[in-house]
Amino acid sequence: MSFHEKSAWVMALVLLAGAGFYFGTVADMSTELGIVAPPVLPVVVIYIVAIIVLSIVGHIAVAVSKPSEADDTMDERDRIIASRAGSFSGVLLGVGVITGLGHYLFYYDGNLLFHMALGALMLAQFGEYAARIVMYRRGV
Amino acid sequence: MAKRPPITNRVKELREAHGGMSQAALGKAIGVTRQTVIAIEQGRYSPSLESAFRISRLFGVGIEDVFGWAEDEV
Repeated sequence: MSFHEKSAWVMALVLLAGAGFYFGTVADMSTELGIVAPPVLPVVVIYIVAIIVLSIVGHIAVAVSKPSEADDTMDERDRIIASRAGSFSGVLLGVGVITGLGHYLFYYDGNLLFHMALGALMLAQFGEYAARIVMYRRGV
Repeated sequence: MAKRPPITNRVKELREAHGGMSQAALGKAIGVTRQTVIAIEQGRYSPSLESAFRISRLFGVGIEDVFGWAEDEV
């Protein structure tokens, strides 16, 4: 498994954990309030900081596990995979944001719009790394 | 599942015929990672034309001696 594939696994797992934390927190808050909880800055900040810290720690662990490959630059296959995964990610982001905007047009729930937009961003990023993993495993 | 590229190759055979050159050494010689060489040998990735030429020149053979087209493909 190349450094870039391991990196994709790290990012996919970190993003999954981050999304679990964020939406778990929002769900708990919403249950207590009885409505969709508004976006709360500290929760968003904790999410972002956790993602950054976990991804750095994960990449250090991957680099330490095989230092000889840690400074590998992307070769032609890596670049094709990254490009196709990026396109897939863009589609996910677009669909997610349009879904959120469409929902807002009917229900005028700004809180939900925020969560859906952020969720679309999370989904798009996760989808990008998941697509990379699939292409590394199955071929391009 | 992604469809396998219809391009066959003799990279592994040629690599072994050239003193058992390692996948890492071949990768370094043509500017790709060892994992990409593995993917090429397993038919999971068709290299760029530039890399295909680099491989054939490295082994001192023509490009069609390294790469072929799967007969059952149009």
